[in-house]
Amino acid sequence: MEKYEKLEKVGEGTYGKVYKAKDKDSGEVVALKKTRLEMDEEGVPPTALREVSLLQMLSQSLYVVRLLCVEHSLNKHGKPLLYLVFEYLDTDLKKFIDSHRKCPNPRPLPSPLVQSFLYQLCKGVAHCHSHGVLHRDLKPQNLLVDKDRGILKIADLGLGRAFTVPLKSYTHEIVTLWYRAPEVLLGSTHYSTGVDIWSVGCIFAEMVRRQALFPGDSEFQQLLHIFRLLGTPTEKQWPGVTSLRDWHVYPQWEPQNLARAVPSLGPDGVDLLSKMLKYEPAERISAKAALDHPYFDSLDKSQF
Amino acid sequence: MEFDLENPLTNLHESRSDTITSLFHIESDHMPLENYLQSLQTKGFDISVRREAISEISKFSCTFDPFLSYLAVNYLDRFLSSQGMLQPKPWVLGLLAISCVSLAAKMKETECSLVDFQGDGGFIFDSQTIERMEALILGALKWRMRSITPFSFISYFISFFKLRDPPLRHSLKARATEIIFKAQNEIKLLEFRPSIIAASALLSAAHELLPLQYPCFRKAIFCCSYVNKENLSQCYNAMQEIVIDGYESVFDMVSSSGTPVNVLDQHFSSSELSGKTNGNITTNTIKAERDMKRRKIIDHYDNLTVQISRIQQC
Repeated sequence: MEKYEKLEKVGEGTYGKVYKAKDKDSGEVVALKKTRLEMDEEGVPPTALREVSLLQMLSQSLYVVRLLCVEHSLNKHGKPLLYLVFEYLDTDLKKFIDSHRKCPNPRPLPSPLVQSFLYQLCKGVAHCHSHGVLHRDLKPQNLLVDKDRGILKIADLGLGRAFTVPLKSYTHEIVTLWYRAPEVLLGSTHYSTGVDIWSVGCIFAEMVRRQALFPGDSEFQQLLHIFRLLGTPTEKQWPGVTSLRDWHVYPQWEPQNLARAVPSLGPDGVDLLSKMLKYEPAERISAKAALDHPYFDSLDKSQF
Repeated sequence: MEFDLENPLTNLHESRSDTITSLFHIESDHMPLENYLQSLQTKGFDISVRREAISEISKFSCTFDPFLSYLAVNYLDRFLSSQGMLQPKPWVLGLLAISCVSLAAKMKETECSLVDFQGDGGFIFDSQTIERMEALILGALKWRMRSITPFSFISYFISFFKLRDPPLRHSLKARATEIIFKAQNEIKLLEFRPSIIAASALLSAAHELLPLQYPCFRKAIFCCSYVNKENLSQCYNAMQEIVIDGYESVFDMVSSSGTPVNVLDQHFSSSELSGKTNGNITTNTIKAERDMKRRKIIDHYDNLTVQISRIQQC
C-alpha cells in the first residue's frame, strides 16, 4: 500500500474504514476501503473472493463506483488485509440534499437535476439487476455525487450478500430502515429486484422533498409510516401479505394522495413514483422500464 | 451465492434478454489475452508448460466436479497469458495448478481443504505459499473470477433449436458439454470467444445426433445477431477436426484417468462390450489401434519431458 498516501479518513463504512488517498505516482485521488476480512488458514477467504469478483464485474458501468484495483497488504502484525481501491467522488447524495436544506439559503434541488440523478440511479440499478445482483441497501449515503459534473454513482455494492442485510453497522450506528421495502420489513425471505426499486422510489421522493419520505426509527414504526401514506395493504392489493412472517394486525389506514407528499413534483413524476412504491413487489416497475417512463421525456438522454 | 458456470450472472427472474446481452458484452474479459495463442504457437516449450499445468490441475481436481477443473484451467490460461510463462520448474507448475484449483473451488463453494489436493508423491505447499500464489493470480486476473465460459451460453443457443422433446435437448446439451470440455485442451480454439465455442459445440453435437435437423439449426444460430459468422465458421471447422480425429490429443492420454469426457474411452468400452457379446474380432483390432496410439503419445510425451528438463538445466 506504499503506492498510496492516506489523506484523511472519510468514513467508517459498514465493513470497515474508508480513506481518501492519493496515488503517489499519478496523483490520482482515490477512496481506499480497508476490509476487515482477514485471511484464514486456507488463503484468500472464499466470501471475499466471490464478493470482490462480483463487484469487479459490476464496476464497468458509468453509474457504479469504479473499483480501480484490489491490493493485498500486510498490517503491522503481519496479518494480510484487503484494500479495495475505488474512484473518489467528493460528496454523497445525503450531504448534497442537506446542503440544500440546512444552510443560510435553503432551496429545492433543481428539478432537471432530480430528473437526471434519478435517471442515472435507474441506469445503475438496471445494470446491477441485469447482472443478477441486488444492492439491498440503497440509500442517499450510498450514492456518490460529483457536484460539478452532475454525476451520480452507486456505491457500497456487492459486499452485501455474504453478510446479509446489515442490522447494525460496524460502528454500532443503527442502520437506516427508511429505504427498506415492506416485504423485507415483514420478514419475507424471497425478495427480489423490487426491494431496490422501493428504495429508489424513497430516494426519488426525498430528492424532491429534501426530507425522508418514511423516517421510521424501528421496523414497526417504519411500517406504520408506510401504511399511513399508502394505506394498510390488503390481501386483494398484495396477495399473501397477511401470511408473511412478521405480519400483525395493524390499524386500517386509507391510502392518501401521494401527490400531496411531493407537492413540487409534476403528474408524470408522481405516476413514476407510485409505480415504484407498489405494495405487490412483482407489480413494481423495473429499473429498465423506468428509464422509458414519460417522466424522463424532457431529459436529454444523449448525455448518458 | 454459488458460482454456477452455466448461469454466471445469478438469476433474478429478470428478463433473460438483458442478462444475455451482458454476457456477450463482458465475455472477452474472461479470455486469455490476444497474443497468448501466438506465443504458445511460436515457443514450443510454452505449450508443454501449459500441458503440464493442465495435467497437474486435472490430477488435483479429478475427484471434484469437472466444471471446477474447467474453471481452474480458464484461470491458468488467463494467468499465463498476462504474466508470460513461468520458470517451467515442476514445483512452480504444481503450485500454480494447485492455486488455480483452490481458487476455483472457493468460487464454486466446493467443500474441500488444500490438504485434499496434495496427494501422494506430489509437492506439499504450506498455506502461506499457496495464498501468495493465489494473490498473484487474483492480481493478474484483476479479480475477475466469475468467468464467463462457453457453458454460460448453452441454454441460450439451445433455445434457437426449438426442441420440444426434453430428452433430446438433454442429450444435445450433454454432448455439447463434452465437446466443450474437450475443446479446452486445444490451443487452436483458445482464440475464440466463449459464445462462439458454445455455438460451435452445439452445432457439432447437432451434426452428430440430429443430422437431419442440422441445416436448420445451423441457419438459426448463424442468424443470431450476437454471433460473428466468420468466426463461427472458423471455430466450427476447427472443432470438427477435434471431434473427429482429436482423440489422439496428447493431453487425454497423459492426464490422469479422471478426465470425465474421454469420449475415446467411452466409445471403446462400449465397443469392447459389444465385441465380447458378439464374439467377433473387432475388439482386438480396436485394442491394437488404441495401444499403438497410446505408444505414439507416450513417446511424444517423453520428448516433451526431455525438453522441459533441458530447459530446466539451462
